[in-house]
Amino acid sequence: MKLAVAVQRYGADINGGAELHARYIAERLARHAEVEVVTTCARDYVTWRNERPSGVETVNGVAVRRFPVDRERDPRDFGRQSHRVFQQSHSLADELSWLKSEGPTSRSLVDYLARSDAFDFVILFSYRYYHAYHAARRLATRAVLVPTAERDAAIGLGIFGPVFRSVRAIMYNSHEERAMIETATRNIDVPGVVVGVGSDVPERADARRFRQKYDLHRPFAIYVGRIDENKGCGELFDHYRRYATTFPRGLDLVLIGSAIMPVPDHPRIHHLGFLPDEDKFDALAAADLLIMPSYFESLSMVALEAWALGKPVLANGRCDVLKGQCVRSGAGLYYESYEEFAEALFALESNGPLHGRLGRNGLEYFRTHYAWPVIEGKYLDMFDRLKQTALVRTIDPLPGWFARRRKNLPPASDVLRGLPSGAVVRQRA
Amino acid sequence: MTDFQIRSDNVDVEQIMRQIRSRIREKRGVDYTEEEIKELARVKLEKFLDPTGVRSDLLVEYRRTKGEAASNPNYKFEDTTIFETHRGFVRFMRKLLYPILKLFFNPHPLIDALHIQSDLNARSFKREELQYELIHNLVLETTRLGIQVKNLRMQVESMSSRLDFDERRARALEGVVQYRPGAVPPLQPPQGVARDSREEGQAQEGRTRRRRRRGRRPGSGPEGTNGSFGESHQDGERGEPSSESGDAAGQARGDRPRARSTSGEGGGQVAPTPHSGSASDAGPVPPKPHSVPGREGGPVPPKLQSVPGSEGG
Repeated sequence: MKLAVAVQRYGADINGGAELHARYIAERLARHAEVEVVTTCARDYVTWRNERPSGVETVNGVAVRRFPVDRERDPRDFGRQSHRVFQQSHSLADELSWLKSEGPTSRSLVDYLARSDAFDFVILFSYRYYHAYHAARRLATRAVLVPTAERDAAIGLGIFGPVFRSVRAIMYNSHEERAMIETATRNIDVPGVVVGVGSDVPERADARRFRQKYDLHRPFAIYVGRIDENKGCGELFDHYRRYATTFPRGLDLVLIGSAIMPVPDHPRIHHLGFLPDEDKFDALAAADLLIMPSYFESLSMVALEAWALGKPVLANGRCDVLKGQCVRSGAGLYYESYEEFAEALFALESNGPLHGRLGRNGLEYFRTHYAWPVIEGKYLDMFDRLKQTALVRTIDPLPGWFARRRKNLPPASDVLRGLPSGAVVRQRA
Repeated sequence: MTDFQIRSDNVDVEQIMRQIRSRIREKRGVDYTEEEIKELARVKLEKFLDPTGVRSDLLVEYRRTKGEAASNPNYKFEDTTIFETHRGFVRFMRKLLYPILKLFFNPHPLIDALHIQSDLNARSFKREELQYELIHNLVLETTRLGIQVKNLRMQVESMSSRLDFDERRARALEGVVQYRPGAVPPLQPPQGVARDSREEGQAQEGRTRRRRRRGRRPGSGPEGTNGSFGESHQDGERGEPSSESGDAAGQARGDRPRARSTSGEGGGQVAPTPHSGSASDAGPVPPKPHSVPGREGGPVPPKLQSVPGSEGG
């Protein structure tokens, strides 16, 4: 079996959620099939500037074929077009223009995938990017989509409905993502499975080594990820400062990741910057719990890693995915206000049996749903299933020139508001 | 906070969160629901706040200014706006001639500037709404705080009155403690020196007798007055208990440790003062004379009877 994995950026040094997800999947599937990664020369997701050479290289044993991006993203133009399609009534042509503006626009990448008949299946990562949309339209019979969809307005755009309804299969990250996409695009008859992604968690993580190396001696809660307002870090800092005042002997807060926003100068907040994986896992092992303040996640890999190490998670309850995972796994608490944050954090900090039970549940949840053999098995099962069933669907053709320019589509944010929200407490069979 | 009971392997996170929320509600002391507070803030702010400090007609005022703002609607300016027309041919011609227009001047900065201005107008309008929301929330919080302050003031008043009551009760108890041993000296209305001296002699004699008898009857005073007695012995007449049977005294102490400790706390600390007071000041002791002169047929209060009763055996 020969597989292609198409993703907007790729590299061992790229730690973005969907890109890392794609790399993990490519490297794991390479043990069972011939895998080629098809990607762009971009390294920066804001500009899509061509920073790597085009051509073929090998990354961690997987062949990677890079194509240049046709044009860099103009942030002002993209902002203006986003405003138009998200906030105003607009046309299909506007949405296509928005997609082009978002990028990474690489026609050669799409042409390569469309021309090549060698691939049995093409796994397309991130529905909202140019390469995934156009590749899905041109080779829907072989396209397996990994949407990595968050609850943002892009899901309300009209151009994506036909794509979700016509690809061969969809590998969802979470039950919440699946519920949202199925409601938005009415694609319930498309084969799909909630997979997510595993993680290369080491057998042993050395908490003591981490404490000695970074001179941390007090118990602490940890946040791992980009320190960004969009990730809910502002709210986390506000809550934590109040908590620290109320509980002077409570947990410290350790932050791991590059900072986009200023980190408060607080004696109990320790920002360690970006750390290598070894240190990151040691830090997770040393922590009492992981805090995930993000409002929007399609899947939190670091939460899965914390669970893999037997650590409970305190998540933002306004993120449906995280809340749903906490409830289904029985391995984390969540908060929607400062009071809940403080109470839940203190409960995890002070109640040993509760902390222990949540941690054990997390470990069990990870092993049951996110261990690599489980993930690989789900992909391979899906490919087998697709090989055995013939495709009967065809993709809806794009409307004509005039119809595409008719401003009859509602603002995407209005569509998003109409979609169901909330955690999926019970998993679908 | 740590009382989440983990009784089984299955942890119901939602149940724990419900417990956490109910605890938060308990802590807040929800005398008023959110809706009630909003209602109070909207309608009757002046009952809780200084009406000169915060306006209670914010909503009305906001609606009025919003109506004024709506009369000047914002315009939208997109990159296509300058070509817009209801005539398709004209629009086509404009677009056709656009490159020629660009030979004369660059319209893009103009389009960008107007687009930004339009965006700023929209943002400003939104910000106004946020400001209203902010002020409204501040008023809500001020109202909530006002109510809390009022509740706390009432609690403080209640506690101070209880404290006052306890103090008075303690004083009354001290008076009782002091009363029985003090039944001795004071203080008869003067009826003549001879009688005084005779009575005083009798009183002295009676007191000595009483002390002796009390010493011989360790188990006496079943009404709980023994404790106070013992205390007053210790405080005021320290030599005497030691002269009595040590066993009996010890037994009496050991029998009622609690009453002892209670009275000990009060009597131990406060007793000396009344004693000294009784020596110098006859003020607090007016009933006492009745106890000793009870023999004279005067009215004897019930509590006093127990003492002479034990004396009389």
